Amino acid sequence: MKVSIKPDHRALAEALRRRVLEGPGETRPELRLASAERAAGGPASEAPFDDLARQIGEATHRVTDAQVSSVLTATGSEKATFEIIVAAALGAGLSRWQQAMKVLDEVTNAPA
Amino acid sequence: MRLPEIERGDGVANRLLISFISMVSGMRLPDAARVAFYHKDFFGTPMGAWTQAAMRGPSPWRVAERELMACMVAKWNACAFCVGAHGAVAAKEMQRPAVDEVISDFHAAPISGRLKSALAFLEVMTLRPKDLKAEHAMAALSAGVSAQALIDAIAVGALFSIVTRYADALDFAMPTPEEFERAANMLLKRGYAS
Repeated sequence: MKVSIKPDHRALAEALRRRVLEGPGETRPELRLASAERAAGGPASEAPFDDLARQIGEATHRVTDAQVSSVLTATGSEKATFEIIVAAALGAGLSRWQQAMKVLDEVTNAPA
Repeated sequence: MRLPEIERGDGVANRLLISFISMVSGMRLPDAARVAFYHKDFFGTPMGAWTQAAMRGPSPWRVAERELMACMVAKWNACAFCVGAHGAVAAKEMQRPAVDEVISDFHAAPISGRLKSALAFLEVMTLRPKDLKAEHAMAALSAGVSAQALIDAIAVGALFSIVTRYADALDFAMPTPEEFERAANMLLKRGYAS
């Protein structure tokens, strides 16, 4: 018999957030978190990470070779640069996830 | 690809795997798959788990409908790679002209009213997330989208808000239409878990 269990999106989102923003990596978790928050419209972080994270959040198709190269030069590692890029992407995506789930919860938890 | 190590693969095993899959499939392995293999413990594993659940797990939405949602989030984020990739998967279960009509103007496209309502919600979530209000969720629910279906759609929207951003930040190489077609077969058969 085939058993279908609906995905637990909240748990899967949280597992992804914790691994990328809090787990071990080549970059400091604080830098990843700052990049995620920046891409979600948060405060400026340190250069040169700030410029890339802001661009990924606002209009990622306009990211330039120079913006990525600056982060690569600062970190000295492609893996570290990758971590900053996915942290920023995650920040923009998860902020939308949280906002959308918040408005849905407002409707579904509203008293009849 | 702005980070050559992702294109090559990190480690001998991944390099061999990329070469092997490219050889067997008869096409250059798309950069999206290369990212899934790269620094896998950090990103590919948890990202693949959620993406697989959202795109292929049990849901009130058919696979083609979820792929269309991914395609539209990509359109709103101006990510040509993801429009091509996910439009091609949707076209495996729908007529290609219908997919193109959705991409052009989903309001007028030959799709269900509930899918249009979910897409309308995702459009605000993608482009103007701070404007997203309970009234948008209410509109979708009133149009026949169940709460579970809306959660599933939101998950797709969130995931492709992430995917499109790293795809363009990394400057994924653009496959040809024939390569998108072959990659779509792989995505249908293998799914997203890395």
